This record gives sequence, C-alpha cells and structure tokens, in this order.
Amino acid sequence: MILIVNTTADASVTDDLKNSLAGRGADFEIIEAGGLRISPCIGCNHCWLKTPGECSIKDDFERILKKIVHADQMWVISDTALGFLDHKGKNVYDRMLPILTMYLTFYKGQLRHVPRYHKLPDVGLIYFGSGEKEYLKRWNERAALNFKRKSLGVFERDELKEAVSCMC
Amino acid sequence: MHVLIINGSPRVKKYSNTNYILVKFTEGLRENGASFEQYEISDRGSWDQIRQAFDRNTVILIALPLYVECIPGLLIEFLETLTPKSDGSKLAFLLQGGFMEGVQLRCGEAYLKILAGKLGCAYMGTLVKGDNFMIRFFEGEWREKVTDPYADMGREYAVNGDFNSKACKKFTGHEKFPLPVRIYVGHILKTQAAKGFEQIAAAFECDKPLDFKPY
Repeated sequence: MILIVNTTADASVTDDLKNSLAGRGADFEIIEAGGLRISPCIGCNHCWLKTPGECSIKDDFERILKKIVHADQMWVISDTALGFLDHKGKNVYDRMLPILTMYLTFYKGQLRHVPRYHKLPDVGLIYFGSGEKEYLKRWNERAALNFKRKSLGVFERDELKEAVSCMC
Repeated sequence: MHVLIINGSPRVKKYSNTNYILVKFTEGLRENGASFEQYEISDRGSWDQIRQAFDRNTVILIALPLYVECIPGLLIEFLETLTPKSDGSKLAFLLQGGFMEGVQLRCGEAYLKILAGKLGCAYMGTLVKGDNFMIRFFEGEWREKVTDPYADMGREYAVNGDFNSKACKKFTGHEKFPLPVRIYVGHILKTQAAKGFEQIAAAFECDKPLDFKPY
C-alpha cells in the first residue's frame, strides 16, 4: 500500500496524484494532514520506555501511525521553510519515533534503533517552495535509514510525474 | 561578550539533556568573562521574549538535540517566526545527540550551516557531541561525568566566539569507532545496555516488553 501524507493546505497535489495512481490501479491511501492536529514530538521517550510503541501525545497523528506500519511506501508532502521542511512536515517525521524500539544495533555501518515492526515503508518526499534540494536528498536518505529502509527520492511539486514513477 | 542562548529542545527544561549540558557550558562561559541570557523553546509562553532577544543580540548560540537527523519540529516552528537579520550577527550551534559517534550528527550539522545563512547570520561553527541520551536518567557524579567536559567548551567559546578551534573539533570524540570497538559496543548494546533500558522502563512503570507492537 502507498501511503501519502499531505501536510500542506494545497489539495491540488493530491488530486493530481489520485488521478495518476487511480489510472494505474495502484493501492494507495491519501491523508490530508494539513488541517489535522499534529503536535511536535516533545522527546519524552515514553514511546520507547513507558508505553512501548504508543505516543504519549493523543492527537490526530495516531491514525497516521497505524497506517505507516502497514504501508510499503510512505510519501510526505510538505511545505518548506528556511531551506528545509516546514514544521508540519518535520513533525510527521519526528512523531514516527514509536515505530522504533529503544534497543540499538549497527546497521549498514550506522548505529540505529531496532525497528519495532518487521515491515516498514520506504520513504519519499515531495515539497513545495524553495527547499535546499541536495540537502533534502541527503537528509531523506538518512531519515529512511532510521527505519532500515531506503529513500524513494525527493521531488519538487512540479516534478510530480517523476515522483509518481517511483510509486508502486 | 554577551551571548543569547536559545535552548532548542522541545523537552521541558527539567528533563532537558540540552539544558544539563548548558548548565556546565555556561559555567565555563562565565569563568572566562562572558555573560549570557538563556531561553527555552519548550516554553511557548516565552516565544515573544525570545524573538525580541534574537533581534536585540548579535552573538547567538542555539543549543539543540538531534531529532531525526536534523532540527526538532518545534524549533523549526519557532524559527519560522523570526525575521532574518542583517546586522552582522554571529550564530553558533551546540548540537547534541544520543548516538555515540560523530558521524551520526553530521547530517544535522550540515543543515545548521545552511540555517545560519537563512537567518542572515554569520556561521560560527557547531559543537558536535553524541552519547548524551542517559544524562536525564543519571544523577550526581554519573551525570557530571558526562556534562562536566562542556565547561571547557564554554571557556573556549568565550575566548574565540566560535567552535572552530582544534579543541572543539576534538571534543566530538570518535567520528567512527574502529571495527573491534564497534563489535564490542554492539555486544554491550545487546546485553548490558538493553538490560539498563529495561530497568529504566520498570522505573517508568512500563508493563509491556520494550519491543511490544500495539498496531
């Protein structure tokens, strides 16, 4: 399943994706998260040490988390700020911490948390605005490595066709 | 020198590893004649004050924990509200994380260089150091053993106004452990450290295994 989380207020991008993916008969789900209540991670570590796998913040992110652990691909659509994701986009990545455990291991030469679930999604990013693309590519690869998965790439809004070609 | 210090940790000050680090760092800063004012991003009620302090000061240090390879979402939310400067301000960073090797923090460090420019400030370097996860769980001597060395870095920063000295670069420690050390650390993580995490969980009254799958 392809999970698409749109943290922007612009639904035209997901309309375009719907049209492209439906035509291909792809299994996908889109969550319009721009208007959802998704608070920032506060680093309490409860998801690792007190209520394993569950976030202590009870807001709209929980239903996204439940989808992530069953997805083959996850795509985040985000606005940018200061060359990076804006806070809404970054909050989605930060709040994914419960899918990892407290335990640590070396993976591909990097110390990483042991994933809580056997199957986690590869991660792609589509962004609006003036992001530092080369940095975003590097960063998304590192972020995907957190799940022992790979980056599906980083694409600007007007590169949607290229992004869709990586969705399967 | 007077320094504006912004603690960019989303965790409340009482439990903030970054704050424990800053306590020692600022001791060193004061010893070498610098003064400072400190604010916490975790306290949203102080954001107006922090914005005013950002506009007013020209020597600024943002201390932060690494969150998913970069800066925390809450810190981005705050930074989005700032007006970029054009008064020659100097911005340095103190980046800390849980993973032990320096290599784990380099992606975050790379963004901080970009960020300084976006905020209209001269980049004065980043003090990079991992292996800080346990600070909030340690007490007394154990905690000080981890945080005390930051006082030296406070002294360095007070003298140089940046983190570009050899001492600051060396402070990171191992960029990557040699293979035999990695094998040893990997073993410790699977045995003693794992047991330690389970003991902390028990103190948190956790009633499930740490690899529990709720979904």
